[in-house]
Amino acid sequence: MNTAALRETRCGVHMAMNLNGVGYIVRETVRNLIRNSWMSLASVSTVAISMFVLSFFLVLTTNLNHVTAVLQSQVEMKVFINRQAPRSQELALLRQARHWPDVRRIDFFTKQQAAASLKQEFPDQRNLVALISKSNPLFDGYDVYTYRSQAIPQLAERFKKKSIVHTVVYEGQVVSRLDKLSNILRWVGWIVEGLLGLATLFIIVNTIRLAVFARRREVQVMKLVGATDWFIRWPFVLEGMVLGILGALVADAVVDGGYRWLTGVAAVTLPFWPLASLHSVMSEVLIFTLIGGVLVGILASLVALRRFLRV
Amino acid sequence: MIRLDKVSKRYPNGHYGLVDVSLTIRRGEFLFLVGPSGAGKSSLVRLLYREETASQGEVFVDQFKLSSLRRSQVARLRRQLGVVFQDVKLLPERTVYQNVAFAMEVVGASSRDIHKRVPQVLELVGLSRSRDNYPHQLSGGEQQRVGIARALVNNPIYVIADEPTGNLDPETARDIVKLFVEINRRGATVIMATHAKDIVNQMQRRVVAIEHGRVARDEVRGAYGYES
Repeated sequence: MNTAALRETRCGVHMAMNLNGVGYIVRETVRNLIRNSWMSLASVSTVAISMFVLSFFLVLTTNLNHVTAVLQSQVEMKVFINRQAPRSQELALLRQARHWPDVRRIDFFTKQQAAASLKQEFPDQRNLVALISKSNPLFDGYDVYTYRSQAIPQLAERFKKKSIVHTVVYEGQVVSRLDKLSNILRWVGWIVEGLLGLATLFIIVNTIRLAVFARRREVQVMKLVGATDWFIRWPFVLEGMVLGILGALVADAVVDGGYRWLTGVAAVTLPFWPLASLHSVMSEVLIFTLIGGVLVGILASLVALRRFLRV
Repeated sequence: MIRLDKVSKRYPNGHYGLVDVSLTIRRGEFLFLVGPSGAGKSSLVRLLYREETASQGEVFVDQFKLSSLRRSQVARLRRQLGVVFQDVKLLPERTVYQNVAFAMEVVGASSRDIHKRVPQVLELVGLSRSRDNYPHQLSGGEQQRVGIARALVNNPIYVIADEPTGNLDPETARDIVKLFVEINRRGATVIMATHAKDIVNQMQRRVVAIEHGRVARDEVRGAYGYES
């Protein structure tokens, strides 16, 4: 044990730090999880329940958004033009409006075309047909389609400002109510999830605290021989993350199975109802539950460790 | 170099552990801290590895100013120190070898270095043959040797021992102190709080006596100086 050899060892200690740490951390994490298997199971279940509720709200809002989008694509705004307006001005506005940001599509129709489509739609209404055939009371105008329903009122105002525009008619109320509903649901979802998240946090904190408590002597020795706080934390943080991810995956599996079943049933009993696709639902659910699980796991382990690291 | 500058330690219950202690310990020294129980030896030792911080004054260990260390620096400070505890603090479910290796593992040493270094240290403390025993299978003196091996394994500049012979019979205690002398001879600074009067008198090393939290004596070739 000569001094040169010792000094060499000391250098080696610093250079090899990170890589050797990883092996240690993984070993310790697995050991903790197995040693506390019952508490680990309890934690995974709690995370799963919490994440399932989160998923429930996600599925709901995703579907509402989907319905809203479907309805939106069907919504059209009708812009009617003053009878006196010359054709050239009608066409000028058409060309102009085509470039407005919220306009997805705009189609021009003449009053003759309007009359023709009316006759087609209501062939039995003789009086009506007679009336519009004699002297056409209808207007020239545009069918306007937008990208988003929220833009409709603004767009209507923009058309109304033009002198040649007579009236603007749109049916945006259903859509805006759906929007409101999905906003409310989103808020309710976050609040419920916040409370559940807290409960989940407490349970994981306790699981990890048990793991730390079982190893408090080791933690103390580690601190006293100069292990960094993060070196001590990592196994527990990883344990929290694993618990969080496992719980999230259980919830995801349940939601995936449940939604497959639901879409199967809906296809038979409610074929006209526009359900969001499994893919779009699950991609959202997976992202949010995994992030949620990991965050809750990390946070819990940090909280659990605070007291024990003060040596 | 370790330097205490007018250090006082007052505990939350109002009791003073140390009062206005100034002390300098150079690298390579061998120093006994003596004094009656409760005089403040342990307080002083705990300040050195920063289990506690001074209420007044300042403790310096090499470049570290202990009152203003960030947590990450506390870890770095402790890597310069090898601490031997009176209650040893061995991990009961690990073998002798694992207990010593643990100290290297948790500061991130490579397994190659660990395999090389741990047997060397076990050899030094005379425990090569007990490497696979568990702490409860060892005598008090052997357990203390494991504690010393663990303190030494990361090549500390300072070895600090808080009553390492407290629970040992005189014969074993003498062997342990001899071990510290050997460690000192190999270049480490040794600071040892002890009650072992005979040993202190026999060793003729620097003795700092603490009484009622104050430095009562500081002699280069001192004696224990108390009737025990």
